[in-house]
Amino acid sequence: MLTPDTLKKTLETEFGTSGLTVDIPLPHRVYLDIPREHLRAAAARLIGLGARYMVGFGADSIERDGTLPLIHTFAFDRDGILAALRTSAPANDPVFDSITPDIPNAGWTERECADLLGMTFKGHPKPKRLILADDWPEGIYPLRKDVPHNLVPPAAEDVAYQLDEAPPGTTVVPVGPFHASLHEPAHFAVYVDGETIKGCDYRGFMTHRGIEKLCQTQVSYNEIPFVAERICGICGSVHAAAYAQAVEEAAGLKISRRAEFIRTILLEIERLHSHLLWLGVAGHLIGFDTLFMQAWRIRERIMWLSERITGNRKTYGMIVIGGVRRDITPEIGRELRETLETVEKEVLEVKAAVLKDTSIHKRTKGVGFLTEEQTRRWSLIGPVARARGVDIDARRDHPYAAYDAVEFAVPVMDSGDVWGTVVVRILEVFESVKIIRQALDTMPNDGPLLTEFSEILPPLRHGMSTVEAPRGESVHYVITGEENRPERWKVRAPTYANLQGVPDMLLNNQFADFPIILGSIDPCFSCTDRVVVIDMKKKSRTILDPSGLEKLARRPRSRRR
Amino acid sequence: MDIVYVFVNVAVFLLFAPLFQGVTRKITAKIQSRQGPPLLQPYFDLIKLLGKERMNSARNWAFSLAPLGAFAAVLTVAAMIPLGGKANFLTQRTDIISLIYMLVLGGVCVLLGALASRNTFALIGASREMATMIMIEPVLAMTLILGAVKSGGLKLSAAMAPLGSAGYGISAVLMLSVYLLALQAFVGRQPFDIAEAEVEILEGPFIEYSGAFYGLFKYAMMMKQMFYAFLFVSVFVPLPATGFGPADILIQLLGILVVFVLIAIIGATNPRFRIDQAVKFYAGLIAVALVAAGLAVKGF
Repeated sequence: MLTPDTLKKTLETEFGTSGLTVDIPLPHRVYLDIPREHLRAAAARLIGLGARYMVGFGADSIERDGTLPLIHTFAFDRDGILAALRTSAPANDPVFDSITPDIPNAGWTERECADLLGMTFKGHPKPKRLILADDWPEGIYPLRKDVPHNLVPPAAEDVAYQLDEAPPGTTVVPVGPFHASLHEPAHFAVYVDGETIKGCDYRGFMTHRGIEKLCQTQVSYNEIPFVAERICGICGSVHAAAYAQAVEEAAGLKISRRAEFIRTILLEIERLHSHLLWLGVAGHLIGFDTLFMQAWRIRERIMWLSERITGNRKTYGMIVIGGVRRDITPEIGRELRETLETVEKEVLEVKAAVLKDTSIHKRTKGVGFLTEEQTRRWSLIGPVARARGVDIDARRDHPYAAYDAVEFAVPVMDSGDVWGTVVVRILEVFESVKIIRQALDTMPNDGPLLTEFSEILPPLRHGMSTVEAPRGESVHYVITGEENRPERWKVRAPTYANLQGVPDMLLNNQFADFPIILGSIDPCFSCTDRVVVIDMKKKSRTILDPSGLEKLARRPRSRRR
Repeated sequence: MDIVYVFVNVAVFLLFAPLFQGVTRKITAKIQSRQGPPLLQPYFDLIKLLGKERMNSARNWAFSLAPLGAFAAVLTVAAMIPLGGKANFLTQRTDIISLIYMLVLGGVCVLLGALASRNTFALIGASREMATMIMIEPVLAMTLILGAVKSGGLKLSAAMAPLGSAGYGISAVLMLSVYLLALQAFVGRQPFDIAEAEVEILEGPFIEYSGAFYGLFKYAMMMKQMFYAFLFVSVFVPLPATGFGPADILIQLLGILVVFVLIAIIGATNPRFRIDQAVKFYAGLIAVALVAAGLAVKGF
């Protein structure tokens, strides 16, 4: 068992002479500062000690001390420790040793730092653009403080991303930017020999919205949760909670127990509807639309419930720094229990049907296979990792909200394929139901929903948090700043980590399996449910509520106006 | 008088094929807890598509010829068959070889259009379509050959007569089960809608098609599906013959409707196979179909 203290001792004996300093501000947080020459060795040592790479990011500190800091974060899952490895380089020589050869998942982090802050990484295996558009001019690094958030450089012509060279004897199948199996723009160049996939190159970040920069320059601490919710159409509360927790940690703010329970319930409701959504999408991707329709029919109840609790089907606006904005009253609690009852019963039926369907086995077993060792090497997370024998779950390993007060199992499979992710997600639905029931049972009735928060935080305090989203963990890292907003806010959504493992999952599979393999890491989209009917003749305007809309949907076509 | 029946055949196929399509869509919707489109939706779709601009995105003649060819081929097939048990002018003058040729021609036109469009996804779809054709046509041929063996001639009118009268036998039962297993592949529905696989290759061979050309392809597909359902009813189901033409046709159409219900149920309860898995499946079917034909020759 590793504790922050033993970790400190181990590293100090090994790197003490190299200038490593260790800071342990909280029982489960370790901050390590090291000169950049020893960064790669220290990172490799952390992995050797059993850490999992989460994400890294750079910041701009040129005005303050003329440096560009670089921070890599690691998780010791068995020991419940989150660690940050910090270093920096002078702005006129921003060169670091690449850690990607040791930790493949750091590849995007480093390319991102190169794009956004102008850092360079010696020994990076694929030093290409990642985030910036291909016609973005060289030499303008958008995350540096001297670049305004609304800068729009003129478009350039005749520039294009250079795809990786295709292996000999293969043809390129372009998937995307718009393709039926991708729900958002992203481009995969899939190299196939016949129908067998021999490699692929990815060019994404086509909807990069600059949210981090926006929040570092334009809005205040407590406005950010609402922006954070809009990062993802599905795991809104996850991002809001992760951000709020990071700020609370940096500010040393403790929220009430009741608010923590309400956050837990919200997060689990989100997991329920997300897993059912995914199950449906997975069915659609293997050409099984009946599963799609049935899973979404069950999910619909949860959406109605969400609207009952928060006023919205999605993007709830519930979680802010210091707590939550609405209560779960006993009445809503009852409705919640009733809905869970029905949902649980219906999902049991779907579970029985899916787990026994040999046709589904045919399309998912052995597909997208990765060994446990590969999964760890790529630092994959969430159901993708749990389907491959890696027993991690941020809810259990790094407890937050009220997860320390509820009992739940973490389903793990060792089939290493898409089938494993199907089973893991279905089983997790039942665990979520269990968690919500326990939370309703044991929730304390006192305590403020919202703990007041002065909004004047001392600058340059660090806080990090990880929240288990339905598709893996979301990592948020906040460095407090001066003007009532973060100096640096880093968000890592789960797909960022998992997508990097997809080329390995695709290798030597059939092209027909491409949608479900990519789909197995779980794509995203959001929806809304409000209609205004405007009758031009009568000049009337009616807003349809959910029941009106449902009635409309169920009315035979002939009687519909 | 026989020549009139050729046009009756064609008219019945043109008129009813979209209806059966509508039935499958409605049943699929019911299985999926949906309301589904109205029964007549396929007609509306076709009318809309046929009225749209003919775009030749590939800019070559083969691209516009392909849908016409596919449509003509399947119309010819419809004209040739003994609908309602009535051998018309063409039925008496053709044999099963020309019927198989016509069906293959329809498939070749799909390939032609796909290759002419030069779209990557169309090419993948074409290669899958080709694999399916190579593997599934023998099953069809064996079915017809079985009929020919039983009736003692290659003539279409005899080969497509109900087996009931000629005696069922082991071979016919075997072939019936093979045909049922191959039915979804014949009609290109799940689990064998591999050549079109929407989420992977976006309708494959038809990806570049739109408007009237696409409408013709769709129409041809619907009629092809109706033909395969008809073939099953005609060969394997001994339906009562009233001797009154329209009544016989109606009885056969009801039989076809039942087959379409079956197609819809299987389609809605199965995910799509991969082409490599499907080819293995077809190989088994071919083997059993050969055995069945062999048994028929031996008189079983």
